[in-house]
Amino acid sequence: MLTSVLTVAFNIALVLHIVMVAVAAWRIWRGENIADRLIGVELITTLTMAVLVLLGLIQRDSVYMDIAIALAALGFVTTIALAKYLADEQLF
Amino acid sequence: MEKVLQVIALIAVIVGTCFSLIGVIGLVRLPDVFTRLHATGKVGVYGVVLLLIAAAAWTPLGWGRALLLIVLLMITGPVSAHVIASAAYRVQVPLEQAIVDDLSAAEPSET
Repeated sequence: MLTSVLTVAFNIALVLHIVMVAVAAWRIWRGENIADRLIGVELITTLTMAVLVLLGLIQRDSVYMDIAIALAALGFVTTIALAKYLADEQLF
Repeated sequence: MEKVLQVIALIAVIVGTCFSLIGVIGLVRLPDVFTRLHATGKVGVYGVVLLLIAAAAWTPLGWGRALLLIVLLMITGPVSAHVIASAAYRVQVPLEQAIVDDLSAAEPSET
């Protein structure tokens, strides 16, 4: 009984997170300036991590968590590199 | 024990999804870059961390990875938000409805 409630809640949360990824992508497309778009990129990385964790919860499989760890590390480096390029107009 | 873990996972998923929704609504509705950054910082630190608490409670053998990812998010989230805000101020993104700008007075003495 509680297991089916959990499955329904996880699926609703998955759909909501995918809708939020779409909203963030719309924000990148129609951003006002470049820092706004950078916020959108960071938000898409975070929400993709949330989608991966929810997929792992639905299938009860922890292999999705490994991909989420790699995505977190890569997303952090991406944000730092893009912000430094934006501020200093050079990478190194 | 199984029931307790299920209830913990259910509550964590619902609260985390609410945090993420509020953050994305803030991204769309707030007026300028710095206030939007304030809203989207909550998605990383509260939304995904609560989902990971649910994963630690409900996924078999996944709690070590979930703990590692929670620590990683807690460290990198505020750092990347600060870096974006600093870069946005450096390229002079306009501030909406700002009453006082403390950095503009500090900038000439520094250079």
